[in-house]
Amino acid sequence: MCKNSMQPLGNSCLGVSTFFASSHADDQCGADGLPLTPNSIKVQGRFQWLKVLYHPRLCQYLDLVRGKHERLILVTEHYKKCLAEEAEDDTFTDENNFLRLAYETIEGLAHIHDNGFVHRNLHPKNILLDTEGRVKLSNYAVYYITGCGADVNFPVGYPAYMAPEVLMAGPSSSSSCPPSGPKSDVWSLGVILLEVALKFKIWPNLSLPQLLAKILLLGKYGTSQHPLDSILKEHSMAEKFENLPLNIRYLIRLCLELLMSNRPSAKDLLKNNVFGKFSPSKCLSKSSSQCSSVRAYVVKILKYHSTSRISNYRFASKLDPARNGEEDYLAERSLKEVYYLWGLAGGDLENELRKHGFLQRSPPICSLPNLVTEYGDILGLERDRSSLYDDTVITLSLDQLRKRLEHIPPEDYYPLIEGEEMQQMSQSQSSNDLKELSQLPLVIREKDIDYQLHRIVLFDRLLKGYPHTIQRIKVETRRDMPPLYRAEAWAAILEVSGDFMSEYDAIDKESPLPIDSQLLIDIRRCHQYDEILYSPKAHSKLKRILKCWLISNPHLVYWQGQDSVCAPFLYLNFNNEALAFACCSAFIRKYLHKFYASDNSAVLDEYLAVFSHLIAFHDPELSNHMRSISLEPKLFATKWFLTMFAHVFPLHKIFHLYDTLLLGNSSFPLCVGVAILQQMRDYLLMEDFSACILIISDMPEIDIERCVQDSIRIFCHTPKSATYRQHSRPPAKKEDSSIFSMKQISYYTTDVNEMPRSELSREPLSLEELQAERCPRISAEDLLELCGLTGIENSRSPTRKSKSSKPIILILDIRNSEDFSRGHIPSSINMPFNQAFAPEGDLVPCHGVTQLNSHKGRVVVVVGNRGNNAPNFAAQLVMLGYPKVSVMHGGIECLKATGILSVSSPDL
Amino acid sequence: MTGRGPPRLNGAGAGGMCQFKLVLLGESAVGKSSLVLRFVKGQFHEFQESTIGAAFLTQTVVLDDTTLKFEIWDTAGQERYHSLAPMYYRGSQAAVVVYDITNQDTFARAKTWVRELEKAGSPNLVIALAGNKADMANRRMVEAEEAKAYAEEKSILFMETSAKTAMNVNDLFLAIAKRLPRNEKQPSGEGGSGHTLVDPAQDEKKSGSCLTTPGLNFFTLTSELDLRVFKFEDVYGVILNRISTCYVVNK
Repeated sequence: MCKNSMQPLGNSCLGVSTFFASSHADDQCGADGLPLTPNSIKVQGRFQWLKVLYHPRLCQYLDLVRGKHERLILVTEHYKKCLAEEAEDDTFTDENNFLRLAYETIEGLAHIHDNGFVHRNLHPKNILLDTEGRVKLSNYAVYYITGCGADVNFPVGYPAYMAPEVLMAGPSSSSSCPPSGPKSDVWSLGVILLEVALKFKIWPNLSLPQLLAKILLLGKYGTSQHPLDSILKEHSMAEKFENLPLNIRYLIRLCLELLMSNRPSAKDLLKNNVFGKFSPSKCLSKSSSQCSSVRAYVVKILKYHSTSRISNYRFASKLDPARNGEEDYLAERSLKEVYYLWGLAGGDLENELRKHGFLQRSPPICSLPNLVTEYGDILGLERDRSSLYDDTVITLSLDQLRKRLEHIPPEDYYPLIEGEEMQQMSQSQSSNDLKELSQLPLVIREKDIDYQLHRIVLFDRLLKGYPHTIQRIKVETRRDMPPLYRAEAWAAILEVSGDFMSEYDAIDKESPLPIDSQLLIDIRRCHQYDEILYSPKAHSKLKRILKCWLISNPHLVYWQGQDSVCAPFLYLNFNNEALAFACCSAFIRKYLHKFYASDNSAVLDEYLAVFSHLIAFHDPELSNHMRSISLEPKLFATKWFLTMFAHVFPLHKIFHLYDTLLLGNSSFPLCVGVAILQQMRDYLLMEDFSACILIISDMPEIDIERCVQDSIRIFCHTPKSATYRQHSRPPAKKEDSSIFSMKQISYYTTDVNEMPRSELSREPLSLEELQAERCPRISAEDLLELCGLTGIENSRSPTRKSKSSKPIILILDIRNSEDFSRGHIPSSINMPFNQAFAPEGDLVPCHGVTQLNSHKGRVVVVVGNRGNNAPNFAAQLVMLGYPKVSVMHGGIECLKATGILSVSSPDL
Repeated sequence: MTGRGPPRLNGAGAGGMCQFKLVLLGESAVGKSSLVLRFVKGQFHEFQESTIGAAFLTQTVVLDDTTLKFEIWDTAGQERYHSLAPMYYRGSQAAVVVYDITNQDTFARAKTWVRELEKAGSPNLVIALAGNKADMANRRMVEAEEAKAYAEEKSILFMETSAKTAMNVNDLFLAIAKRLPRNEKQPSGEGGSGHTLVDPAQDEKKSGSCLTTPGLNFFTLTSELDLRVFKFEDVYGVILNRISTCYVVNK
């Protein structure tokens, strides 16, 4: 599932190039009345999946950054040597070397064509050679990402290497120009190979019109004269060509066929006998190389952790070959990681470009046109040269990054993730620094290169060990999430499993559905501030995922806002729709069970009633205020819960929120809701209804890290049965005895309703009862556990149980004193309802009141008989501002069978 | 205004003050939220996100020495959220039913909303029909005459509006304000008696001209702003917007 097959940095470097997308005239609107999507955004959308296009003969695309004025900056894997420079040497006069060059280039082209696009930009400068002299094609996607050249003002490609049919089609800016086919690349390759073989440049000094004429005239004789012969004749090279080995001549002739139907495709060429002795380049993800990398990894672990108990085995040194001293640990990290770290180390693309003389802008006064029409057409403006294409690739220096990481001890690159070593590790020097770092605010941690390096290395390791490492992934995620591996880690935490790929593929997402128009309307305005989600590619992806979800959940329907729920998952898994779909589905299953039923009112109302209880439980003052101004949660929190905050916060906040939310159970979002209200409580308490609801809908800068911390605190201080909901997801069936069945019940992640039930558990209340009551009810089970009365076999509550003297709850028994003396819960206090309150509603001073006041913060449980007395009593306490008031569900009766009720009266 | 939260335009003045509940209804993506946003904040977002459940905003206008405070409930357009709508229009004094002039279906939907309001809304409910997206007249699918005839038949207010260009947005709300009975006026001693507005047509004559002069609008505006807490740009933007609206109207 976790696709980490990305190529390591190795000896490559990072290259940067830049160009401009063409801009629209101002104020132009599309057919839907919305502004035209900027071309740079379209390019950005198309670019995304290139990030996961791996092939050993292709340079990896790493990033595309949008600058000002439609500038686009491409970051790719890069090598300093290219064919243009090397062709002069004698390397390729050797037949074998020549054929290998051809073979490897064709391999790269074939992979591009297999993926449904064409290079169209071949040039000896774009055929790079790595340190071992092997081919790496670069700049191969410019034609594709610019919509076959439609989104830029410059022509893509080098005329000298263009096939006649490409030139015949006319300029790519015209709408009638058909996109070039894959066989045009084969022609370009033919020209390049011819130049290499003959070691001379064809038509080096011609003007552009002359050059175009020459190429177009190659077709003059139709099929009667082969273009190759025309070229050779023109340059009197026929004799020199004849001296070349037969295989080379044959190959070049094949490539330069005039008619596309006669010209072989890249794939055909690979199968040609000329290349009989070559075998396909191996991908790193192939099992053999993975084996060797695993072995290498083991060796490294043994080497760097030899101080620990592993040294007993004493083969660390034996296994490690002579390579010692300067070892480049960074070279083994993937390009994606290295580029990310480069950014953290202070790398700035625009700055790099500026250093090399790019990004020069003419003064604004010089860019004024002579005439602007009222339609926004601009006349008499000299074309800015910078809008033309410059194929220079700047190499990013990794020196600064290497220097920055110098002090990282080698063992940190090879962490142990199991057993006691894990703890031992934390004694080393760098781990101590890390410990300090982990105390810093999240935003700082995310920008700190040392910290992120460790997190990345660790998560990379853990994710490779998934699903075995799932518990550890969860534990680490509690601390924080390295943004680089969020997509994979979320999928792991959501326990996405099974063959979601084929499940997704099997569903028809293209046939029109009645809901399509609604989806279109909503998707078009869903998180559009984000440039990736703004792109047309994202729109179509989001639509497909939503449709797929609707089709695979026929009993559920589309509710506005669901687009927002889906968006973060698409954003993270932009290049893996199926995974985005699987994550989103798992998320909805877990947190939004039945929320998207066509009639969800019962579900939502119950959820909101429980939410009200939680507010009263944790913040009675706020709850009382909200009641006094009739500010019902329904008016503002529907949006919160129906979209799990995805429609409330911008993406970056959603990510931080979900990093924790995903770890919690389906009740956790309720705690998030309380935490949000608490963050605004000082304002809310001062204001009337309309001001309050304005504050809430404005969502002033919510500090999401604090919100997350508060939510956890609230969650841990809420008895688990307080959030019981009858409409929550029924327990999963036992049959899925997958790897997950071995996990133990954890209070944090497991739902109340998934825990084993007994007669002491809670039963459902009607919605009316639920809405009428102000406090949460807790189960007898919870009560016993909170008092520590029974040695319940496996404690599931996170509430720290201080086994000694300090009880964490206060039990108020509100029955009359006779009933009380006949049997009550040990250490409970008798406060008969009819004597407890003065006519004005205040509490009449008594022992219970003293206890209440001196132990604020304890969970107060009101116990009575069945009936409304206990809830009413509890409601009175809330009115008086007592926090953490709850009611025991079922009354004292349900404890009779347990035999723990005591008859004596210890409080007197 | 104390230093809490972001400053708002609706820090109501202290004069005679009436509060009205107003609800916006209509098919999704016709521009309900955009109309409100234009009216309340003078802003327009091309990609105004969809409204889930409902959103609440307030705005005050000054009309004949009376401060009117609109409490606006902007509802979700998707049919699924229909069941929530009564919660918002019940008890409302005014309703704006919005459709998109480039989409015939939304007009049909608007008509069903009007019918529902006539049946279930409060008896004195002031209903206004707004044909939004008037800036996209080249893609018009609903003729203004058709909508106007319908509105006259139902004796409800009608205007074509554009949240994008601000055309008729303020006028729509002011027209509603003029139709609203102002008998809930608090006894502050300011202005005339509480029951001046009976005949809307007469009122039109009385105050129509001054409502559309930039001067009064400017006054209206400054009276509701506490200039100390606003950035100049904000105020300037709002004023500019108001003046340009008036300009369009006067033309």
